[in-house]
Amino acid sequence: MLQYILRRFLLSLPALWLLVTFVFLLSKLLTGTPGEEQMLQENGGYYSKGSTESRQLVYRNYLNRTGQNLPLFYFSIKASPEPDTLHLVYPAHHRTLLKKLYWQYGNPEAVGRYYQSIKALEAALPVAQKASLQPYMDSLYSTTTPEGLKAIAATPSPSWGAQASELTVAATHLAAQQKSYTFLLPSFRWHGTDNQYHSWLIGVIQGNLGTSFRDGRQVSSLLYDAIANTWWLMLASILIAFVVAFELGMLLVMPQSKRLRKVLLPSLFVIDSIPLFLLALLLLVLLASPSFLQLFPVYGMGYHTLTGESWLQRAGVLSQYLALPVICLTLSNIPYLTNLIYRSFSEERKKDYARTARAKGFSERQVIRKQLLRNTLLPTITVLSDALPIIVAGTISIEIIFAIPGMGRLLVDSVLARDYPVVLAIVLVVAAFRVVTYLLADIFYSLADPRIKHAAS
Amino acid sequence: MINLKIDLRQIWHRSLSFKIAASYLLLLIILIVTLPILPLAYQPNELDLQYTFAEPFTKGNGAWHWLGTDVLGRDVWANILYGAQSALLVSFPVMLFSTSLGLVIGMSAGYFGNDGLKISRATVPVTLLALFAIFYYGLYLPLNFYKLALPSSYIWLSLLALAVILLLLYKVLLPLLNRWRYTAANILLPLDYLVLRFTEALTSVPRLLLVLALASFMQPSVVLLSVIFAATFWTSTARLARAEMLKIKQLPFFEAGRSLGVPEAHLLIKHALPNMLGPVIVTFTFGIAGLLALESTLSFLGIGVPGSFVSWGRTIAGIRSNTSAWWLVVFPGAALAATVWSLQTISYHLLNHFEERKQL
Repeated sequence: MLQYILRRFLLSLPALWLLVTFVFLLSKLLTGTPGEEQMLQENGGYYSKGSTESRQLVYRNYLNRTGQNLPLFYFSIKASPEPDTLHLVYPAHHRTLLKKLYWQYGNPEAVGRYYQSIKALEAALPVAQKASLQPYMDSLYSTTTPEGLKAIAATPSPSWGAQASELTVAATHLAAQQKSYTFLLPSFRWHGTDNQYHSWLIGVIQGNLGTSFRDGRQVSSLLYDAIANTWWLMLASILIAFVVAFELGMLLVMPQSKRLRKVLLPSLFVIDSIPLFLLALLLLVLLASPSFLQLFPVYGMGYHTLTGESWLQRAGVLSQYLALPVICLTLSNIPYLTNLIYRSFSEERKKDYARTARAKGFSERQVIRKQLLRNTLLPTITVLSDALPIIVAGTISIEIIFAIPGMGRLLVDSVLARDYPVVLAIVLVVAAFRVVTYLLADIFYSLADPRIKHAAS
Repeated sequence: MINLKIDLRQIWHRSLSFKIAASYLLLLIILIVTLPILPLAYQPNELDLQYTFAEPFTKGNGAWHWLGTDVLGRDVWANILYGAQSALLVSFPVMLFSTSLGLVIGMSAGYFGNDGLKISRATVPVTLLALFAIFYYGLYLPLNFYKLALPSSYIWLSLLALAVILLLLYKVLLPLLNRWRYTAANILLPLDYLVLRFTEALTSVPRLLLVLALASFMQPSVVLLSVIFAATFWTSTARLARAEMLKIKQLPFFEAGRSLGVPEAHLLIKHALPNMLGPVIVTFTFGIAGLLALESTLSFLGIGVPGSFVSWGRTIAGIRSNTSAWWLVVFPGAALAATVWSLQTISYHLLNHFEERKQL
């Protein structure tokens, strides 16, 4: 048994690793550097007062602190004219200029010289002329065509000093030394273990999920707080949903509830086709809005009203706030569960042992409650492990609508703020949770039914 | 296909809920198709700033707002109709694509199993190289040209390079390598195992969560979102196709076909595919219902879709700034729930029908 569990666990690890790696690489490949937008704001904002140099320093420091100066993966494949250090260049429009030049002219040295000469010219410009020459500098930073370069080589007046003549030389050099189409040749670069993915993975294995980009807190403590809130919501909904679904299933399978079946099954079907967020909003409008019935408090978990009361009072306040979210989650899960449980009851009813029990004189109610219940409990263990992820997904919209500071809300907030360490950690935690529930389901299954032989599977 | 028509007619005559669901969907499709010629007073993104949060049956600037307006004075009725259009335009192509992808992956996994696909040793590195070439010349270079606004002749150049390289790899390198005994020797590709592990990885996280995480990394765009949907929705079809294929593989008619030497492609398309069409159609309609719910949830959360994208979820999200504007939830919500219900009802009846027929 222990061996089997261990084997299952080890087998599920590759899938987990594959998923997390996939999400990690995609997250980094698809976008620029998070946090850059705030620093780029030239007007207004915290970073606007400093000069370009100080902002560049801040950007470099930020990259170093968050480990984003390192290469992404063990190796990289890029077009051969593009150097590795391009992502360190700041600000972003310089980076675009450089990338365009690299790709079009295919000569990194000449491009680097040209870029340095532009920067040198900008630094050497007299303060009095800076404002009037700004359009000219902007045009320098956006010109990439060979014709444009020739024009640049022609324009600068010698009165601007040595930097201007160097610019002319560099531009002519670049236009002359063009190596076109070198991008057709990919270049493969090996970076070794000193990369973002490696350090992240090692951190995860050692239990360190990193720090949030948003507030610099440990991701694990953020997650801990969020899960503590989501936990009660999930636990309550699962328990209530299962109890109600079992009671309904047993009620529906009774022979005398034929009429009930005709009403209840289609209406469960209708509830099942309402998406969860819609159901929650409908209940919100009906039961917690001032224009209809205001039975429940709507937003949050009522922590602001809790100061130094006993745990009983706390639980009382908390349950008021959690009632409506729990009802929504429960209601959205009941149709599916009830249907399954009803089906498995009606299967069991036809079996021999049920007929024997009836022949012995048990009432239908006793047959269902005493004989069938145990046997239908068994398949629902699998259902439980399937229902858990559905409930996890459900908490996302529920927490957004009812403003509960839980995992789903944390996820949506991090997604909107592009706070990748948190998003990655949530994906990892939920996937690991799923693995654990599958394992638990397996263990319970074999405990409940010793006939199941694991050697075969 | 003829069978399917007869099946549908049979179910139509037998069940009232199927009649209602099918008629509703037909009506919806007719409305969507005739949308450009319908005499609508407002466009879905047209603002009527004098009449924000107008209740149903308010006479707005010129014409009636039959179902009210939202926070910016956008007409709810127009948004419901155009929302239906965009829901269909997103879900149908995505489902078609992901169903075909799932069919190809699942059927080959089921057919070849872990020991059915023999490839020569040389094929592995050649295919890897080809995949790399496709990625580099077919995806990375064109995307970068597009982003850097370089001349479009570069894109054609890189595609031409790709074609030349693929030709070299498969017409020159592979035959050359196959001459050596070592590289020509066959190895087994455990396709079934690989496919199973891969689907397991994709499904180990709830779909909403995965789509949210992926959507956060890119600019909001309907096309990109559709790609994410397609990349996550093929797993259910693949699983089903794999299971059906395993069953069909052992049926006498299939074995007979194999022993007669019918080509594999013919065997799979002409003999296996028609036999699993029923369940595949059921997953297709279920999938569309799931996509509708997922798409509206995302537009409700405002993640992954641009703000100008007309959607039921976007209209419903208006309730969050004014909880007494019930018409923002009730009307689009009813449209959404009715569509999902119709699709689920139809799939449910089809499923029952196919199961009954199997028992006969």
